[in-house]
Amino acid sequence: MTAVQSETNPSASALASSGGSSKGASIHAKGISKIYGSGENAFRALGPIDLDIKPGEFVSLIGPSGCGKSTTLLLVSGLEPPSEGSVEVDGMPLTRPISEVGIVFQDHLLLDFRTALKNVMLQQEIRGLDKAELRERAANLFDRLGLKGAEDRYPRQLSGGMRQRVSIARALVHDPSMLLMDEPFGALDAITRTQIRHDLEMLWLETRKTVLFITHSIEEAVGLSDRVLVMSTSPGRIVEEIPIDLPRPRPAHLGEYPEFSRYAQQIYEIFSKLGVYRF
Amino acid sequence: MGPIMGMNRTMTEERTAEYRPSLDNGREGGLLAAIGQLRGSFAGSALIALISIAALLGLWEWLAIAFDVPTWLVPKPSDFLGRLVSDWQLIAGHAVATSITIVEGFALGVLVAVPLALAISSIGALERGLYPVIVFLNIMPKTVVGPILIIWFGIGPLVAALIVFLMCFFPVLVDAMAGFKAVDRRLFYISRSMGAGAWQSFAKFRLPAAMPHIVSGMKIGVVKAVEGVIIAEFIASNKGLGFMIMQASSFMDMPLMFAGLVAAAIVALLFNGLMSVFERQMMPWAHTGR
Ligand SMILES: Nc1ncnc2c1ncn2[C@@H]1O[C@H](COP(=O)(O)OP(=O)(O)OP(=O)(O)O)[C@@H](O)[C@H]1O
Ligand SMILES: [Mg+2]
Repeated sequence: MTAVQSETNPSASALASSGGSSKGASIHAKGISKIYGSGENAFRALGPIDLDIKPGEFVSLIGPSGCGKSTTLLLVSGLEPPSEGSVEVDGMPLTRPISEVGIVFQDHLLLDFRTALKNVMLQQEIRGLDKAELRERAANLFDRLGLKGAEDRYPRQLSGGMRQRVSIARALVHDPSMLLMDEPFGALDAITRTQIRHDLEMLWLETRKTVLFITHSIEEAVGLSDRVLVMSTSPGRIVEEIPIDLPRPRPAHLGEYPEFSRYAQQIYEIFSKLGVYRF
Repeated sequence: MGPIMGMNRTMTEERTAEYRPSLDNGREGGLLAAIGQLRGSFAGSALIALISIAALLGLWEWLAIAFDVPTWLVPKPSDFLGRLVSDWQLIAGHAVATSITIVEGFALGVLVAVPLALAISSIGALERGLYPVIVFLNIMPKTVVGPILIIWFGIGPLVAALIVFLMCFFPVLVDAMAGFKAVDRRLFYISRSMGAGAWQSFAKFRLPAAMPHIVSGMKIGVVKAVEGVIIAEFIASNKGLGFMIMQASSFMDMPLMFAGLVAAAIVALLFNGLMSVFERQMMPWAHTGR
């Protein structure tokens, strides 16, 4: 899939040539759930749910607050063990945190005393990867994410949108096979959000990482995904799976497509039926 | 910086082209302005301080002469500043001893407080068990243990250093604990996803993330240390400015006592200045523009 894409898209060579060749991973979760606490305090935060994400697929998870979306991300990354069920990545059962992954949270979680570039290069430091190669990849990502000139600035000297872009660069610089994003644009203004959504889509089109994208925003979910999974209220289960059949790259103003309104309508209706909305 | 985000992808080239110089300008301008401001304000305030101190000393000198105040009661500035010059070797020797005591006590305080804070904030049981003890020890006046320490270790700079340690230990501990607890759990997740081990997780993520808190604890600690060291030397040392002042007091040597006071103020200024330099080193974003 990666190969086909990069052949058909000439501008893809930029990332591919600097070592970016890692294929998207497949994610397969069966009956996973999370129960926090024990005994009387036991609280089911999630599921059980099944996930089946193909290599290179862009899947969004949308659902009401507290339904267990972030928990799902932690289980899929192996950062927390599921209480029931199991997760397989590329057919291998997860027993510890996967390292072939980049994670972006709603807050940038950059380290204040490291410059933007040094924050990104933390991946190289910790993983002990080749410095020159990672520097080149970082430079490339800074370029692609509109961060040129921000390399030596500290996070506090960047705007919120730029910080989040640095955070995305950090999640991609080591060329992981999987990108996990938990409401990555949730704290940004609408204008920035639309631009950064597009930038992410373009990067994804070139590299075809497998992406699990958690959001509250119907627009983001439809604007980015191959498939949207809709979750119920807590404890979250997947109640609907909506393949998004829109051409890419998708426009800034999704209202251009009548199909967009149809998808949005569909999700609103599910939420209304679940009692997420009380109008 | 704001409008950049709103621009179209097709404008990337122009955007970066325009963007870079403007960013650099902003940065250099900001840096120069900051230095200029700092230099201006520092030089300015130093000048004003010097002038007002000189005026005050002049007034003092004149009053003491005009009313013929005896030196053993209130020495003239010329008396104790003269002593500062004529006895500079003695005073400097004690000032160095005091400084060493501060460094020892403070370093020990930080080196014990930070790892302990990490342990306490990581292990719930430890926190529940130790926190009340810490609160109690923190409100206890530290100098009261002086006589006990003298029995254990004998009069000397070691006891003074231990008292300084106790005085600056708690603020660092309390702030470092707050710092470690404030570290976002998701940062820990990010470190784990990079494959960081326990040591890397601490050294590259938790410690630096908690650093602003630790530094603010250290700032309080330094103030306590320079304040505490003189008292500690009054009661428990045979070296240092506190000891020198105490000894001068027993000989009714007023000018030397005042000279010691000036020297103690200089030592305090020096350590607070060093702490500011350290803070700038630790928080580089605070003084490079914006
Ligand atoms: N460590 C934890 N211990 C106990 N309960 C937890 C823990 N983490 C999450 N929960 C609970 O599990 C439920 C699901 O949490 P989760 O963060 O996964 O929801 P979410 O869908 O991401 O919500 P949001 O959209 O608001 O981010 C919530 O009720 C939350 O309070
Ligand atoms: Mg969440």
